[in-house]
Amino acid sequence: MKKPEEEKFGIVSRREFIKGLGVTAISTVAAQTAAVAQELEKANAEKVIGPGAVPVTLSVNGQNLQLQLEPRVTLLDALRNYSSLTGAKEGCDRAACGACTVLMDGRPIYSCQKLAIEAQGHQITTVEGLAANGNLSPVQQAFIDKDALQCGYCTPGFIMSVTALLQKNPRPTLAETKHACSGNLCRCGTQPHILQAVFQAAGVSMADKTEVIKHV
Amino acid sequence: MNAFEYATALSPDSARSLVGNQGAYLAGGNDLLGLLKDYLINADILVNIKSLPGLNKIEPGRRHWTLGTLVTIAEIEDNAGLAQAFPGLHDAAMEIASPQIRNVATVGGNLAQHSRCWYFRHRDTVCLKRGGDLCYARESDNRYHSLFTGNTCISPVVSSLATTFAALDATAIVLRNGKETPMKMDALYHRAWENPLAHNSLDPGDLILRVEIPTSRRSSAYMQVSDKHAFDWALVSCAAAADVVDGKLAHPRVALGSISPVPHQVEAANQFLNGKTLDDETASAAADMILKEARPLEHNAYKVPMAHALIRRTLLKLKG
Repeated sequence: MKKPEEEKFGIVSRREFIKGLGVTAISTVAAQTAAVAQELEKANAEKVIGPGAVPVTLSVNGQNLQLQLEPRVTLLDALRNYSSLTGAKEGCDRAACGACTVLMDGRPIYSCQKLAIEAQGHQITTVEGLAANGNLSPVQQAFIDKDALQCGYCTPGFIMSVTALLQKNPRPTLAETKHACSGNLCRCGTQPHILQAVFQAAGVSMADKTEVIKHV
Repeated sequence: MNAFEYATALSPDSARSLVGNQGAYLAGGNDLLGLLKDYLINADILVNIKSLPGLNKIEPGRRHWTLGTLVTIAEIEDNAGLAQAFPGLHDAAMEIASPQIRNVATVGGNLAQHSRCWYFRHRDTVCLKRGGDLCYARESDNRYHSLFTGNTCISPVVSSLATTFAALDATAIVLRNGKETPMKMDALYHRAWENPLAHNSLDPGDLILRVEIPTSRRSSAYMQVSDKHAFDWALVSCAAAADVVDGKLAHPRVALGSISPVPHQVEAANQFLNGKTLDDETASAAADMILKEARPLEHNAYKVPMAHALIRRTLLKLKG
């Protein structure tokens, strides 16, 4: 991390601003994240920042991450290379494969095609944030139970898409599930097992796994 | 991706002054970041326009509905009122890209996206559209390219919203030189018809503010054919809109995407359909007129019968 320079950005000096953030850094409360973002927006409104690194505060899995990032750093890069949250994977880096899928305010997005600096003020959830108290989420457990992965590289992205689907639609149909998973690719070809995992997580019992295979 | 400065604009005018002549507006960022990562464009500043007030609304109206430029494709997909007023628009939104993209992609960004031609997108080629002197697609793999063009470049427009807005006769309101400039879809893309370097008629700094969709066509439909069932570009797309009164079409419009640098419309076909009762024979005669001037190349001739079938199917979906 670069040493903060004593220069003005917005209406406060960078150092004052970082000190200000320190107060909220220990907090994990969403409302305070929004407050920080509002302050940040006010301080930075219509002010040109960068191209060098600037302070960026991300709310990831309920925790505030304070980072020094250039504006060009993507959310995926910020998570993987600046925060050691390597759950979201880099596949295509062009919004085409889905391996980098995270939730922003509960909705799946491609973190590779989103700048970290504009993700401020939003609640980011990665696959690391799903397990509570050491217990896997129902979706994670279902992926294990149904053997819904081979190499596993696409798995975190699929799990995030499925998690968002089930939050919005707890009993999806096969067609709805496929629509929701259309932005995630699995080149090992485990889609039939992934669909089975979705139905297990949704509490729907499958008559026969060949039914799913037939429809994929 | 080269480094750039960054600012968040709070009004359209300040967005315009911040973006200067070398900057880019950032909304969903799907197309923009792809272009920057592949060094296809350079921007010295990215101006985040997502905080511009009032531009993220879907507003019903008696004469027209208004879609703010920041409305996301997912919001179009999920809006029940909009789906009822413009079923074709809803169907077009559902087929755009993937959930992850629809959640962030905006109306303005969909309209302003750049060519998907694989020679244009390739890092190592400098094609006509990039300022070179050769359209590689003409003599090479042109399976995804245009049947119509007014210049040498055969890269087609791929915005499914543009196709649908053309059929609905919608107007984009563009902030240009401080003035709100209305542009129908033919005006919004006309420059791409004439000039291989252009993706649309927008000048640097032009900002699409909103799109107004007239309510005068109560029936609309959209269909596309792609290699994949989901998350794929259309090989051909078609939108149709009309009022259907006693089984007869009133002021019908048909537009096609992915076969021309502009949403492909043939005014004579629209006039031919006006007042007609829809059946396959009528739809087929309209399709003949719409595709009469098609100039297929070595690998894209399949698009002609595909477009013909799609025009017929889309027209026959229009309901009274």
